[in-house]
Amino acid sequence: MTLRGLHVAILQGAALLVPPANRAEWLAEWRAELWYVNRRATAFCLGSFCDAFWLHRNSPAPITRRKFSLDSPVRCVMFLALLTSLSWLLAFGWPSHDVSPPSPARGAQDLAKVSAAGQPNELAPSVLVEPDQPQANRTPRRSSVIACNQPAQQRAGTSPQASENLPLACLAICILTLGILSSVRPLSLGEYPANRYAPAAPFRLLRWVFLTIKISLLLSAAICGSLVLGTIIQPIAPMAMFLGLYFGFRWALMDQRQRCPVCLRLLSNPTRIGDSSQSFLGWYGTELVCSQGHGLLYIPGTSTSWCRTQRWQYLDPTWSNLLP
Amino acid sequence: MPGVALETKLSHTAAIILQALQAGYVYGFSVMEATGLPSGTVYPALRRLERDGLIRSQWESQSVADAGQRPARKYYRITRSGQATLAASQKRYLLLTRLFPVPTQENA
Repeated sequence: MTLRGLHVAILQGAALLVPPANRAEWLAEWRAELWYVNRRATAFCLGSFCDAFWLHRNSPAPITRRKFSLDSPVRCVMFLALLTSLSWLLAFGWPSHDVSPPSPARGAQDLAKVSAAGQPNELAPSVLVEPDQPQANRTPRRSSVIACNQPAQQRAGTSPQASENLPLACLAICILTLGILSSVRPLSLGEYPANRYAPAAPFRLLRWVFLTIKISLLLSAAICGSLVLGTIIQPIAPMAMFLGLYFGFRWALMDQRQRCPVCLRLLSNPTRIGDSSQSFLGWYGTELVCSQGHGLLYIPGTSTSWCRTQRWQYLDPTWSNLLP
Repeated sequence: MPGVALETKLSHTAAIILQALQAGYVYGFSVMEATGLPSGTVYPALRRLERDGLIRSQWESQSVADAGQRPARKYYRITRSGQATLAASQKRYLLLTRLFPVPTQENA
């Protein structure tokens, strides 16, 4: 590669940071400028990264409709239900990933199938023989046997007991996850003081129903997903379950905090208000609005004695006419 | 709005670049050479100034560039708001007006 080619490659690499809408013009300008540079051209080209970063940070996001969004509560629940169904299917419906295989005998995973000649014989019918059975019963009368390669004492309490302990283990990991999550992040969903524009109490309970459904679905998805992973690499199953639950709970809470308590849609138009350097007498933080005009959410930049957590304000119905 | 531009306070670097544009260094590389600032400073500053409405950019016509057998350049020129802001900056940075000589034809 020539030096000129290297310089053009640097510019093209930096151009990847530029928003696509501005990229062609940006690259044309830098290539035109490079044409005039006759010394320290490499340093000149490396400066293009600063310019590209600036454009990357300061260009407005393209106004495109997101193909996939969880704005609507119905869509959110449907997506989680799909995720849960998929993980459930992989965990319990997929034959090769069956996490609780039906066993004809205790400790089926410790049984090996051998033929009368000592070689595996898949075609012949089989009979189960265990080492602690009486000698008279051990005599195989068919062409192959399935012999146990571990004593019964060691086999006792493997698969069936593990299956019985699974709910307890899941519960323990759930409690552990919630404990760790509560110590790392506040679990509070914020303040939603009712005023005269707030809906009736039964409707206000709707967001709790929504949160419960979300958490239940995420819980199932995380447990089934970790069981699927456990069939591939068994030791990572508990850690996978913990991580799945941790990030699942965390996402559910974060998502819930940014939803309108009336229509349960995600809030939009985040606006920064105030300045952290002038917070002595003024509030600063982020304000979000419900696209249906149901209310405003104030999220403080820092927790203060008078504004510890986010606060929702119900708006009167006339606001809905002001919003598209 | 001119009123807003008058209140805009430029950093020293931005004021130097605006002064260079006022002095006739009208494209990025010539501003670099005149000010001695690196490309990583000059071009983002030009974008900021353009975003704030203090300068305006325009591509040279392709026929002029073809006649000179060179790629078309992007020229920057100072707007009315930019001139007002520069005047305010010149009061703030007193040596600003003495910085740049009149550019030669090849730099302009």
